[in-house]
Formats: sequence, C-alpha cells, structure tokens
Amino acid sequence: MALVPITYKGGVYRHDIIVDLIDDLGGYIVQKHMIAQEVVLQSLVPKDDIELIRKVGRPLGGEVFESPLVGTEIAVVSPSLDIHHLPHTSCDVAEYLRRSGAKTNMIGLSRGFGKRIANLNIEERDIINEHDCAIFMLGNFEDCIKHKLPALRRGIHVPLILTGGPDKEALKAITDPPVEGYVGGIGRIGHRMKKQEGEIEFLDDMVDEVSTVLGIKREDMSKDELSISPARLMSIIEEDLSVIKTSTHPTPITIQIAGLRLKIPYDDYFKYVRAIEVDKGIKIEDIAEVLPSRMRNYIWIKIRPFSETNIMV
Amino acid sequence: MAIGYFEVECREEMGRLAYIDIASDVLKDLDLIKIIDKLHIYIDLDFPFFLAVGKTTKLPSPVHINDFSSVIEDEGKIVINIANETYLARMLTILWKKYSREEIVQPDRFTVTISSSIASVPEIENIEVYDPSEAMYKDLIYAMQWIAPEGFRVRREWVDKGYFWYIASENTLPEDVMEKYVRKYFDKIGGL
Repeated sequence: MALVPITYKGGVYRHDIIVDLIDDLGGYIVQKHMIAQEVVLQSLVPKDDIELIRKVGRPLGGEVFESPLVGTEIAVVSPSLDIHHLPHTSCDVAEYLRRSGAKTNMIGLSRGFGKRIANLNIEERDIINEHDCAIFMLGNFEDCIKHKLPALRRGIHVPLILTGGPDKEALKAITDPPVEGYVGGIGRIGHRMKKQEGEIEFLDDMVDEVSTVLGIKREDMSKDELSISPARLMSIIEEDLSVIKTSTHPTPITIQIAGLRLKIPYDDYFKYVRAIEVDKGIKIEDIAEVLPSRMRNYIWIKIRPFSETNIMV
Repeated sequence: MAIGYFEVECREEMGRLAYIDIASDVLKDLDLIKIIDKLHIYIDLDFPFFLAVGKTTKLPSPVHINDFSSVIEDEGKIVINIANETYLARMLTILWKKYSREEIVQPDRFTVTISSSIASVPEIENIEVYDPSEAMYKDLIYAMQWIAPEGFRVRREWVDKGYFWYIASENTLPEDVMEKYVRKYFDKIGGL
C-alpha cells in the first residue's frame, strides 16, 4: 500500500472525524498543528483514499492538498546565523519548505563565511549527515561559491541541493563534482521574498528540486525496502513511550525517509527504546540502529533495510 | 534610491546587481539614504576585498539646551522649561555630571531648576546635549559592515568631514593596496 504525503487543513470543530478516518485507512498523522480555530494535519495516507478524505472533510470546511515533503527532515545550511543571512534568505527558505510539509532545521555554520577561510567542522558535518538532504545557501558570487563549496561539502554524504545568486546553469558549471540539485536566484538578499517573479518562483523551483532529489533517494531505497516504514515505527513508539505524549516539542518524533529522531535523552531511554516490541518477538534493535544523535542529546533511529535484517514488519 | 551618485562595481554582473539591492535595502532599513550624497562600492573577487567610499550630505548641527527648551532666571534659580522630551534624559545626565545630582531639581516632568549661584543662563543654554553626526557615522559604518560580504573580518574605516571609506577583507590588507584603491575610488566620486 503506497502512502502519499498530504496536508489536511480545516476547522477544529469535529476534526477528530478526520483523525479517525486517517487512522482507519491505515495512514499516519506525522504532525498536527492547532492554530486558533484551524487544524493542520500533515499525514501519510493511502493514495486511493485521498478523495475519500477530501469528501469527508468538505462539510467540515477542510481542504486536502498534496505536500511532497511530509515525512522528511531537511537541513538548511547557511554560512552563519548572522545578519547577512538572517532573517531574510534562510528564514524564507526554511519557511517555504515547511509549508510543503518538511521538517527543517536551520544550521548556521561556525566558520562557513568568507571565501578562503570557509570550512565545516566535524560536529556540523555529522549533524547535516543525520538529515534526508541538505540545502546549502551560498551567496551571490560564482567565484566565491566555486572556491568555498569543496570545503563546505567535505564528508557530507546526504544529497546536497546548492542554492546561490547565480542562475542554475552557472551553478552547475562551477560545481565539480556535481551535487544532486541546484536552485539559482536564491542568493543573499536584504529583504523578505515577496515578488512572485524573481523571488517566490525560485522558492517554488526549490521545492520542486528538493522533491525530485528526495524522489530519487526514495526510488533507490525502494530497491531494498526498509524493514518497517518510519511512520509505522513512529506510531508504535508513540503508543509505547508515555514520555513522548508529555513532550513540549512541536515534533517530539520527527520522521525521516529512513529513520526517526526521538527528542528524548539518549542516555536515559536508549535501552528502553531498543527493547520496544514492534511485532511478535521483534524488537526495535532487530530492525534498526538506535544511535545517539549529534543534535542535542536526542536519539536517532536508523531503520535497516530488508537485505540486512531479513525482517519485514 | 535618492542618493546623488550610487554605483557598485564588480566583475560578476549578477553579483553586482545583487549588491545594489542589498546596499539599497540596508541603507533604507537604517534610514541612511538621506545622509548619503555619493556612494561607490567596489568588490574585488580575487584578493578578495570590499571597498566603499562615500560622501555624506550636510549633517544636522549639534543640539544645545536652548534648541529644545527655554532657560530663564527666576528668584535665584535658573528654570529650564522643556518643550521636547527627546533629549531630556541626555540633558539630565550631563547636568548631573556637571553640577551634581543634589543641585538639579525636577519639580515636574517638563521643568528642571538649578541654583543661579552655580550656573548662568548663557552657560546652560549653550550646553551641547547631542551630536547627531556621531551616531550617524556609527550607523554608517555599521551599514557598511552589514552590506559587505560576511567573513571579511579584517576591517579598516575612516570617517571625517563629510567623507568616509570602509574596506574589509578576509586577508591582511597591505597599506599600499588600501591607499591605492581608496584614492582611486574617491576620484570617481569627485575626490576628497
């Protein structure tokens, strides 16, 4: 059963009908926002049932639209978190990706600025490698991007999407070896992106590019399926771990394409998490690696493929 | 932009246009457009360095106590009646420092009195409370730091008599390079 990412937006009144429906259909709610009188459900649902959800939601004032990035965690990497990059470019990019359903983490490098002096430290590299993909937000000059990109991408093995002021073709020409995606026209700017032409259109291009890159990654992974779907593992952990229910994080469990990030202390919980039973006699440790995340003291669960475990839940 | 002369020079056209926008946005945000008459920015991608040379418009003159209040002598006291509260805090700080806190009495929000035995009306009237040019030059240099590409931590700046220059790089800046470029670009805006 192929699950597709959607966003349901509607009134709070009787939204539990939709929540139950998604559950009954075998789908998963990845994130739920309640904003005043509105509820936003980012979910993974069976493709054939989207029309049904739309039909049930209509009398409740609900809308359903496809959000290609639901269930992904993306690193938005900028050379620093200084006034040169914030709040405009980095926030615009992170916010736009969130609207498409992604969970974004903004990573400001400690020494990513400059042309010759730019570099990436080990902690930053490891944190970026815990994401599904990374968007590198570089500046306006081809010469600088060409010079500093090799230093910034060293050791990163997740797909990279390079953004910068020069157009897409120019970015492609200066990147050697090539990266997975390019978005031109998003360099350093001094204002929020508002104009459709020349600003928002590039953010739309970026969402398309990220979807394409992650689509290729998903396709590669489908050749050797995961032992359990991350969404299913999330619901099992949610049921089992009461501490998740009392968490104040907006996403106490963050779904990735091939894993989960649990926002609870590793030292206190890793043994318990490893021993959670996902199916008869199968524990999490049988199908996934439970690792300490480099992000704070969280737990990072990497689901292993079927070829490694010979288990399919 | 309402600047008399504004130019960004760089060999990459796309970057040049982006920096025109960045400079305009930053100067607008900091409300500096009114005080800049000429501005020439040069970005050297090889060295690399960022240079800005410019000329300011005539800046507002310093604010004295008699610019925002009336000072009169009445029954052995000098009475300062304040019309505009903007500079009240600065004025009190200066008066406290000069005559001590005990001597400065503020019977109500808009009145300050001092004993006429320790001060005279012309003396009080001519006390300089605020020099707008000082704050503006600080803002100007802050704007240049903001506009310049990030990471250029080697910085030199100069502000005097309505002219300014700012140069920043990630590499050591030799004196002769600085002088050569600063002179060259000042010539472009009509010389010092």
